Amino acid sequence: MFKKSRKMVAVLISVFLLVGILAACDGGSSDDIVIGVLVPTSGTEAYYGTDMMQSYDLAVSEINEAGGVLGKKLKLFQADDGCDPNMASTAASRIVAEGVDFVVGGYCSGATIPAMQQFYDANLLFLLSGANSTRITEQGFQQSFMINSPGSHAVLTLIDLLKYVGAQNVALIHQADEYTENLSDLCQAGLPPAGFNIVAVEVMEKGAADVSAIVTSIQNSGADFVYWCGYHADGSNVIRQLRRGGFEGHIAVGDGSASPELITAAGPEGEGVFVTSPPFVEFAVGGEAFVSAYRAHHKMAADDDSFPGAYATLAYDTIYLLKAAIEKAGSFETAAVRNAVQSIEFQGLSGLIKFTADREPALSNFIILQIENGAFKKITP
Amino acid sequence: MFTIWELILQQTVNGLILGSFYALVALGYSMVYGIIKLLNFAHGDIFMVGAFVCFASFGVVSAALPGWPGIVISIVIAMIIAGIVGYLTQRFAYRPLIKAAAPRLSLLITAIGVSLIIYNAVMVITSSRTYFFQSGIEAAPLFQAGMFRLTDIQVILLTISASLMAGLTLMIKKTMVGKAMRAIALDRDTCRLMGINVNKIIGVTFFIGSALAAIASGMYNILYVNVSFSMGYMFGIKAFTAAVIGGIGSIPGAMLGGLLLGLLEAIGTQFVGSQWKDVFAFGLLIVILIFRPNGLMGKTEIERM
Repeated sequence: MFKKSRKMVAVLISVFLLVGILAACDGGSSDDIVIGVLVPTSGTEAYYGTDMMQSYDLAVSEINEAGGVLGKKLKLFQADDGCDPNMASTAASRIVAEGVDFVVGGYCSGATIPAMQQFYDANLLFLLSGANSTRITEQGFQQSFMINSPGSHAVLTLIDLLKYVGAQNVALIHQADEYTENLSDLCQAGLPPAGFNIVAVEVMEKGAADVSAIVTSIQNSGADFVYWCGYHADGSNVIRQLRRGGFEGHIAVGDGSASPELITAAGPEGEGVFVTSPPFVEFAVGGEAFVSAYRAHHKMAADDDSFPGAYATLAYDTIYLLKAAIEKAGSFETAAVRNAVQSIEFQGLSGLIKFTADREPALSNFIILQIENGAFKKITP
Repeated sequence: MFTIWELILQQTVNGLILGSFYALVALGYSMVYGIIKLLNFAHGDIFMVGAFVCFASFGVVSAALPGWPGIVISIVIAMIIAGIVGYLTQRFAYRPLIKAAAPRLSLLITAIGVSLIIYNAVMVITSSRTYFFQSGIEAAPLFQAGMFRLTDIQVILLTISASLMAGLTLMIKKTMVGKAMRAIALDRDTCRLMGINVNKIIGVTFFIGSALAAIASGMYNILYVNVSFSMGYMFGIKAFTAAVIGGIGSIPGAMLGGLLLGLLEAIGTQFVGSQWKDVFAFGLLIVILIFRPNGLMGKTEIERM
């Protein structure tokens, strides 16, 4: 995947590289703290990289306007990883060569991992805003922290939801592909120790229409809670048939179904369905202020609602978390800031952020939504 | 929880509903095979075309006629258009090959080609999107005993399927067209000598088979809502399997095969587990074929149609 690097892109990068070097020569005062940004701004994932970059930019200019960090201004230096491992290595070299003080970014896990080694060798603190593969933790780089929740955190949020609705017996449905089966496996591993029973695990083949037999089987299992691990098109069908088949318990769907299309597709039977969802900006506390600041900062037209996207709040939080850690450490020195990040408790737009000893987020940033009167509403258990 | 009898009854109803969809589509495979010995692989895609035509017509019609009247009109439009598409595939893809007495393998490959053409054309036209058929009809429980429940939609669908199958059987047994179909199945050349318009009857067969698939897809829309270009693929393969199990070329066989496959899937889901239901259902079907190689209703010297 993402091996889309073409000659054209390579040429463009060389040009940008030259321009970058020239631009670096006339850069601002040498007192500025430079933050390297590794995100894809070309290729298939360019939308998300651009969104993250714009959020970093917003946070940095807000901080600079308010006087900077420990009396110093922040500056961003962006390199495009194109969501491609080879491009990411080049981009990481550029960031290191620029002599940056810290690094943020990371969207595609596959492109982020090769870059991590270079940042580690250069003794740079790296805060990953988006990439969330468990393979990142496995690299064992002590200066790299993951801010976005890994998929396993959906289970933590699901446990909160189960307690909130008072359900006990859970039926899982997945679609036998890597993503949905993995989520189902995580639930099977995580729910019983928390005191919940898995009473059924069903498989619905993709695009299959009739799930009445599965519905009957679930009803017979005594489940009072059904968790759909798949995507929204088939999910809406499952929801409808569960309700038409007379299932009266709670229904929740995973983040693969966290799409407004779910509401249209499920129709009246979708009312009351829960979603364990990524932290969409419109549901964040202070999200509205963020969106209007974002739009104003990037001079977006009134009818342009393309941004901010799903990772904007995480990117924004990353810069403020870095600021908080620097202030806590009272220094810009990597080891001191790194230790400050390790022990920080930071309240961001996406929720409270703190880290485990493995440098993963300790708390899930998944949120719970519920369909109410044909719209998503955030539930706080 | 269900009692064991409620459970078996409920899964039987689930299986019969699914099975009657398989049966309606299987009829198309069986009729075509019976009359020209062609495995019409494009039939599953005709089913899909029917679903889209029904979806699109209902989008237009429902403004003036919501609910059942609108649905009935959309299904009739879907029958006509799917029937015409089915007829056209026969007229322009299969008939020239039959006329040239092409080998059966060429016909088979042509059928796969027609299937891919329809599949990909619809994929491009619909941008691979899944559409949702908002019928506005709410299922109401008609009968409830303990955990067992039967909704009005289920009863309506079962009744329509049963009457369609009965009607088709009558048509083939009693009418001139039906008699001609059976005759062509036995000996095409003799029929021509007897003054039967063979091409016309073959065209009619394609039209009827496709129209039946369109009725199935219309009812499918009401029950399952999701409409996408890939919906006919697995469904077509399963309906084809049903036709073979019942004895391909035999009309009652296609019905029996469809219902049996639906029942096996439902029972398998309940008692073996949904991840194993296809292994269970198809395993049993292989066993059936070992003991009855020509299918349940197939005879060694089969009288087709």
